[in-house]
Amino acid sequence: MSDPTDDPAGSTEQLFDDAPCGWVLTDSAGVIVKANSVFRSWTGYGEAELLGGHRFQDLLAPGGQIYYQTHLEPMLRIAGSVSQVALELVCADGSRLPALVNSVLRRNDAARAYEISTMIFDASDRRRYEQGLLEGQAREREIAQELQRSMVSGVIPAAPSFVIDVVYSPAVAGLAVGGDWYDAFWLDGAQSTVALVVGDVVGRGLGAAMTMAQLRPAVRALATTGLGPAAVLEGLDLYVSRYRSGKASTAVYAQIDLATLEMRFACAGHPPPVVIDPNREVCCDWTGRSTPLDTYRSDDSRRPEGTRQLVAGSTLLFYTDGLIERRSNPEEDGLQRLIETITAQREHFAGVALAHAVARVLHDPDQSDDVCLLAIQLNSTKT
Amino acid sequence: MTATRRLNVTRHGLRGAQPIVFAHGFGCDQAMWRYVWPAFADRYDLVLFDHVGMGGSDATAFDPGRYQSLGGYADDVRDICHELELRDVIFVGHSVSAMIGVLAALAEPELFSRLVLVGPSPRYIDTEGYTGGFSHADIEGLLAALASNYAGWSDSMAPVIMGNADRPELAEELAATFCRADPAIAEHFARVTFLSDNRADLSRVHTPCLVIQSSDDAIAPAVVGTYVDEQLPDSRFVLIDATGHCPNLSAPEATVDAIRSFLGS
Repeated sequence: MSDPTDDPAGSTEQLFDDAPCGWVLTDSAGVIVKANSVFRSWTGYGEAELLGGHRFQDLLAPGGQIYYQTHLEPMLRIAGSVSQVALELVCADGSRLPALVNSVLRRNDAARAYEISTMIFDASDRRRYEQGLLEGQAREREIAQELQRSMVSGVIPAAPSFVIDVVYSPAVAGLAVGGDWYDAFWLDGAQSTVALVVGDVVGRGLGAAMTMAQLRPAVRALATTGLGPAAVLEGLDLYVSRYRSGKASTAVYAQIDLATLEMRFACAGHPPPVVIDPNREVCCDWTGRSTPLDTYRSDDSRRPEGTRQLVAGSTLLFYTDGLIERRSNPEEDGLQRLIETITAQREHFAGVALAHAVARVLHDPDQSDDVCLLAIQLNSTKT
Repeated sequence: MTATRRLNVTRHGLRGAQPIVFAHGFGCDQAMWRYVWPAFADRYDLVLFDHVGMGGSDATAFDPGRYQSLGGYADDVRDICHELELRDVIFVGHSVSAMIGVLAALAEPELFSRLVLVGPSPRYIDTEGYTGGFSHADIEGLLAALASNYAGWSDSMAPVIMGNADRPELAEELAATFCRADPAIAEHFARVTFLSDNRADLSRVHTPCLVIQSSDDAIAPAVVGTYVDEQLPDSRFVLIDATGHCPNLSAPEATVDAIRSFLGS
C-alpha cells in the first residue's frame, strides 16, 4: 500500500468511491457520468448499466420525476444548490430506497456547460420514523373528528309545538377539530320543558374533543336533577375546576317551558341568544350574562339568570362565535352583521329555514373556526 | 386586497408599452422567468406574479371554492390585467399556466393579443385514445413527494439561497420566499393541475398561439405538444433543443428567440 499523499489523483478517486454516502455526477442533460461504489451497491445497478446514458431522474418513480422537474431542477438552476430533498430511488430489483439528497450546480463558464454533483444519504430509518409521526397525527385527527361527530349527533327532541334544527360546520382552514358543541334534550319525562345548550371549548384537536366529551354529559346530568340555568352553569364551574378540563370555555344554557313559553337561560361568556319575534325587531338578549366557565370567582354572588316571555311564532338562535367572526375582517361588528342579515332574510324565510338562510349568507369560505348554530322555532299551535 | 398585492405582482421594462404577462407553472414562482424577461425589457411592459400560495403571494387569499379548477387561476390573470389596465396583452405561460392562459383568453378574448404556451399539456393522465404521460398512481406519487419534502425542509430553504457565496447577486434578487409554498395549497394546486382535462377548450381559442416544446420533456412530452398545436385553430409550433420541462431555465436563449420571432411576425 502506498501513502495516499503520493498519488493525489488516485486518493481523490478513492475518497469519491468510498465516501460515506452515495455520490453521483451528472452532465448538463442530467445524464449520469460518474457514480461511486456506495451508490452502486445501494441501488444494485452495475457501473456499465448506470453509465449507459441513464439520467439521475430516471432512477426516480414517476411522481418523484415530476417533483424533480418542477421543483428540484428549477431550484438548482436558479439558486445553484438544494439540500435535504427527500426522494425515493427505484433500485435495480424494483425496491425503493428513501433518500435525502443534496445537489450543487457546478458551472463551467468557459465551456458554457455545467455539471450537477449530488450526494445521496440513505434515509430509510428516518422516513419510517417520519411516516410513523405522520400516521400518529392522522390517527389523532381521526379520533378527534370521531369524537366531535359523536358529540354533535344524536336524537333531537321533537314535538308539534316546536322545531329544533342545527347548522354545524367544522372549520375548513387547518385540520384540527375545533371545540364547538351543542345539545338539546327533554328535562322531564312528561316532555313539558326542553333544554338547549351551545358551547365552545378552548383549544382544538383531541384535547378539545375530550373536553366536549366531558362537558356535554355533565350538563345533562346537572340539568335533569332539577337545577335552573344559573345553577347548571355553577355546577359546570365546579366540574371544570375539579377535573381541570375546559377552563374558560363558554356556554349558553336555556330551558323553555312549552306550556307557558317562558324561557330561563344563563350565558357563561358566550354570545347572546338572538330572539326573532314575529311582531318585533330582531334583537339579542343581553341578560343573564356572566364570565366563562371556572373564571367566576366571587364566592358570595351567584351566576345571573335571564328570563324571557316568548310568543308563539318566535324563533331563537343560539350559536358560537364562528358564526359572527370572520378572519378576513376581524374588526367588523359581527353581531351587527348577524342582526342585519336576519332582518334582511326574514323577508323571505321564517323559523329554522331562516336560520339556514342566515348560515348560508354568513358562510365564510375561509372559515377558520367551527360554526354551530342551533335554532328553535316555536310553532303557533292552535288546538 | 388588490390582485397586485395578493399575487405579488412585480413589473419591469417599459411602462405603457405593449404588456407581456409571465405566468409560472406548478412548482416555484416568478423566478422561473429570470433568464427570460430581461430580453424583453427594452420593448415591452413586463408583468410577473406568483400564483396564490406560491412564492411571495398572500396564502390567506386562497379560497378552495375559487381555485377548485384552473378557471380560478385564470380569473387571477384577468384580475391583474384589469387592475393594471393592461390591453392587447401577450400572455406567456409555462407548464400548467399555458392552460391557465388558454382559459383566460377564452373567458375574455378581447384582452389578449397572443398566447405563448411553454410546455403545455391539456391533460396529464392517459386516457383512451390519448397519451398524457401519467397514471393516477404517478400523481399520488407526486403528492407523496410533495408531502415528504414539506415535512422535511420547508424552513431550511432561505438560508441555503442566501449562503450561495459564488453568486451573491442572487441573495439580493431572490426574496426569502423563493420557491416557498404553502403545503396545503401546493397539494391542492398539484391535484387541480394534474387531474385537469382542458382538451376540449383548445379548439375554441382564436387568439394566435405559439407552442414551445422542449425536445426532452417528460412532463409535457412532444406528442402532447403536437396534439396542442393540432387542436389550436391558430398556432405555431417550435421545438427547441432543451432538456427537461423548463426550457425557460435550461435553454433561455432558445426560448427568448422563439418568443421574439413569434412576436415579430
